[in-house]
Amino acid sequence: MIPLLMGITFITFSLTKALPGDPVFSIVGERSNPEIIEKIRKEIGADKGSLRQYAGYVTLLLQGELGRSYYTNRKVVEDIGQKFPNTFLLACAAMTIATPIGVLLGFIAALNKGRAADKIITTLSVSGISMPVFWSGLLLMLFFSLRLKILPPSGTGGLQYLVMPAITLSLPALATLIRITRITVLDTMDMQYVRTARAKGMTETAINSIHIMKNALIPIITVIGLEFGSYLNGAVLTETIFGWDGIGRYAMEGIVKRDYPVIMGSLLIGTIAFVLMNLIVDIIYHYADPRVRVHGTDR
Amino acid sequence: MGLANRAEIRLICLALSFICSLSLIGCTSSDRIAGYVHYRINYNPTTLDPAMIVDVTGGLIAAKLFNGLVRLDEKLEVTPDLAESWNISPDGTIYTFYLRRDARFSNGRLLSSSDVKYSFERVLDPGGKSPNTWILDKISGAKAFMEGERSEVSGIKLSGPYAIRIILEKPFSPFLNLLTMTAAYVVPKEEIRKWGEDFASHPVGSGPFRLTQWKHNNHLLLDRNENYFGGMAMIMGLRYRIIPEDLTALTEFELGNLDVISVPASEYRRIMEKNTGKNLVSSMEGINTYYLGFNCSRPPFDDIRARRAVSFALDRKRILETFYENRGRLAHGPIPDMLRSWDAPVLPDYDPAAARKMVDAAGLKGRKIQLYVTADPEVVDIAEILQDYLRTAGLSVVIKQLEWSSYKAAINNGEADMFWISWWADYPDPENFLFPLFHSSNHGPSGNRTRYTNRAVDALIEAGQKSSTRKERDHYYSLAERAIVDDMPWVFFWHKTDITVRQATLKNYRMYPIYSLDKGMEVSF
Repeated sequence: MIPLLMGITFITFSLTKALPGDPVFSIVGERSNPEIIEKIRKEIGADKGSLRQYAGYVTLLLQGELGRSYYTNRKVVEDIGQKFPNTFLLACAAMTIATPIGVLLGFIAALNKGRAADKIITTLSVSGISMPVFWSGLLLMLFFSLRLKILPPSGTGGLQYLVMPAITLSLPALATLIRITRITVLDTMDMQYVRTARAKGMTETAINSIHIMKNALIPIITVIGLEFGSYLNGAVLTETIFGWDGIGRYAMEGIVKRDYPVIMGSLLIGTIAFVLMNLIVDIIYHYADPRVRVHGTDR
Repeated sequence: MGLANRAEIRLICLALSFICSLSLIGCTSSDRIAGYVHYRINYNPTTLDPAMIVDVTGGLIAAKLFNGLVRLDEKLEVTPDLAESWNISPDGTIYTFYLRRDARFSNGRLLSSSDVKYSFERVLDPGGKSPNTWILDKISGAKAFMEGERSEVSGIKLSGPYAIRIILEKPFSPFLNLLTMTAAYVVPKEEIRKWGEDFASHPVGSGPFRLTQWKHNNHLLLDRNENYFGGMAMIMGLRYRIIPEDLTALTEFELGNLDVISVPASEYRRIMEKNTGKNLVSSMEGINTYYLGFNCSRPPFDDIRARRAVSFALDRKRILETFYENRGRLAHGPIPDMLRSWDAPVLPDYDPAAARKMVDAAGLKGRKIQLYVTADPEVVDIAEILQDYLRTAGLSVVIKQLEWSSYKAAINNGEADMFWISWWADYPDPENFLFPLFHSSNHGPSGNRTRYTNRAVDALIEAGQKSSTRKERDHYYSLAERAIVDDMPWVFFWHKTDITVRQATLKNYRMYPIYSLDKGMEVSF
């Protein structure tokens, strides 16, 4: 994990430095003079060579710090500490919606392959993948806020603020899960062990739950893990539309203003979240499928 | 009943039960605090430390929390704020301010002249990070202090607890205007010591409101300061909600969660039609100028014929009336009309035939010209309109669209042939539209991004800055403006009008041409 994170810091640092634009011009505003620019460049360490800047950043990291934002002067670690729980909450809520509905609909579609239910669900799935979140988000806002007047259009806070961004964010994952579940279940249904189970006289419910669903789990868990991991890196559009104070908006504002400490901090936290998510998925594989258990531990 | 139908019915039941459960847990679309005026801001203010503020959002909130020695009134004249009165020496270099004795910071302490000195020196502090030193560096001894040669600014002298003398290096006629700006607000030393760099999030001033809550990227809550020397605001407080998306803000407004919003360009026509006769839409001529800048330091636009060709080729009036839906006034030069007390210069009319001749004369036919713009969709649309007009005149324009940070770096470094940008007043004086934008000492990030150089114009602007009477000052500024219009370093487009719509429940709402004017004292329910 540590070498991976060091690699990530180096790559992100190099990429941020390669970006065109200069943070100093954003700090000084529309009117400045060369003396002020020079002073601020010195203040933020932009006058030093890239390697020295990187070494300084790594030293800061080893002290458990992520630096201060060039613009707000606030500690990046404190900002992330405020925003990451919101992102985590939103990601959890989105996956809580997407996972059961996606898997259930995918399963129903597979069991009814070629029939009306399959066609309807597949159409919904394609629409979910194709519909951009800024469009679906605004539609939800129009319906729940303006028409029904039961949900506030924007803000960060309790359940009422969470519902619409969570539904919006869940739609692409839901659609992907429908597709992956349908395909995997269809593949599994053709397996010999399913035919054997049926020949043994097992009920369809038992075949579906014990043989098909259990064996189809691995790709579904993989997709859930990947989607959840990407949501933990923030969802810029959803957060912007609903004014949700998450890590995606924070990182985006950092990128636009070339606020290097903010960009680096957000990317680092996002990477850690993604790596941890993959680790959790690997652990779940271990329990979901005996075939991927490490040799020697389960003999 | 087929499986498909059963599945559909289950889905419908699920959706209905979801909606019912939301209603049952008491969700509502209302999000208001009674007695507070709810405003929308697009972004989280960068900082509320007056020494550090460079953005309008930070400035308009800081104006409610802090006071300067002087402020602007509705006629854009300088008027007393913390200073009850002042006098200026005949040579225009010594300003003596007499402070009111009842001004207190919101922490309860009385404000005195030493706080003014502390605040000014804090901006100029060589160890500080303020990007606003240019506002106060005209004070005598400021440069030596900024370079660490002196421990205090020699030109700031206390004359007792309620009087302060400020001595300038040389006469600078807009100096009082500079003192109305955010960086010249007075801050309490003990709070700066207490909070250190985090004063930016915990500001304490002497203004009519005090910050009671700042949930970053969510909202700011300002309660009225009951000890404010200017009396108590008519409302309990102000709530600034941070909503980046225009359509979301519009939804919040339509639900009554916001009291005022700026009308988004995409909704302008609908809102105007919907509010016809209701007197809820306000507009205010902004003190700004939108322009197409030429890079005058290199070919092809170092040649005045090339600049003229572009100027003749563009029908500014038509673009303003059609695409911009008359949300602005046509510019007659760089200076907005409300700051100009002399006859406006006459700009050349749209003349495509003359433009084509000029393109041939300057040898521009077929030459690729880069037009730099930001990623703002409205600006990109304008760029495409300009590209089309210039194509008709025989010019081949390549639009280069960059996000704001890269765009600023590119135009500051002189990479663009042409660029689209606007300039908004820091203070309401013609000097603010001349010195930073056209003086040859300000090339690049200082404001003169066209790299325009005309020694005669430099001399006229400097003469205006030194003039002690308004008449004399205006004389020099009018000559400078005419010379600039003749040289055409810009195509002068328009001065944008700000348009807002408010709820009928909001009373005494007014728009102000400069953010610092609005102290939030008049508005009520």
